[in-house]
Amino acid sequence: MPYIYINIILAFVISLIGTLIYRSHLISSLLCLEGMILSLFTLNALLSLNINFTLSTIVPLILLVFAACEAAVGLALLIIISNTYGLDYVQNLNLLQC
Amino acid sequence: MMYIVFIMGVLYVVGFIGFSSKPSPVYGGMSLVVSGGLGCGIIMGSGGSFLGLVVFLVYLGGMMVVFGYTIAMATEEYPETWGSNVVVLGAFLVGLLMEVFMIMWLFSGEHELMGFYFGGLEDLMVLGEEGFEYVREDYSGGASLYSYGFWFLAMAGWMLFVSIFIAIEVTRKRY
Repeated sequence: MPYIYINIILAFVISLIGTLIYRSHLISSLLCLEGMILSLFTLNALLSLNINFTLSTIVPLILLVFAACEAAVGLALLIIISNTYGLDYVQNLNLLQC
Repeated sequence: MMYIVFIMGVLYVVGFIGFSSKPSPVYGGMSLVVSGGLGCGIIMGSGGSFLGLVVFLVYLGGMMVVFGYTIAMATEEYPETWGSNVVVLGAFLVGLLMEVFMIMWLFSGEHELMGFYFGGLEDLMVLGEEGFEYVREDYSGGASLYSYGFWFLAMAGWMLFVSIFIAIEVTRKRY
């Protein structure tokens, strides 16, 4: 596999680990989610260009549309949390704690 | 040319490590913007000027601006940067170590991974780069979204329309 693809997959794995590990802020995990989507877009675009298959250039564009919808819904949820608790700290989300 | 793409690829991963080590979101957003710009550079190194422009306009100019405003709303008094907290610095150094190991593995000769051979920087060069191509691939591919991929277009447009209503109703707490 060409080296550049392995580099971008490494970037995807780093963002995935960042999404799954919470620190204090919730929006940091949303940022890591956006990073995952950016790495997927870069990978798709490079693959479409290097294989010279023109029709598959649609795939990164559609991926970006879905990413925009997902970011919008994620930010709306963050806004509700910020309205209820004042900040978006993860330690505030403890209503289901036993 | 391949050295430029290689260095941009390495800095791309370093930018990813920068926001994945979870400093305060202000610095994370800045790191993601830098990585987006470098990703555009990598895509343009393979001849995709339309897709690089899409990254800058749609991704950085649309989605990251919205993120930037939201971060400015939900920020704290003393933001943590990479040097002010041991945890963030440790995560950054671990990620940097992983990338350095990747580079050292790349430069140590020919390797075989799942049937593909890689080693050295020859793969970063795109053949036939000199001169103009008769078909601009990514422009015509993006334009084919409106002709061959019209169902993609219809579904994507409908999804964007519905997600506006979703965001409005979720923010009004009518889940």
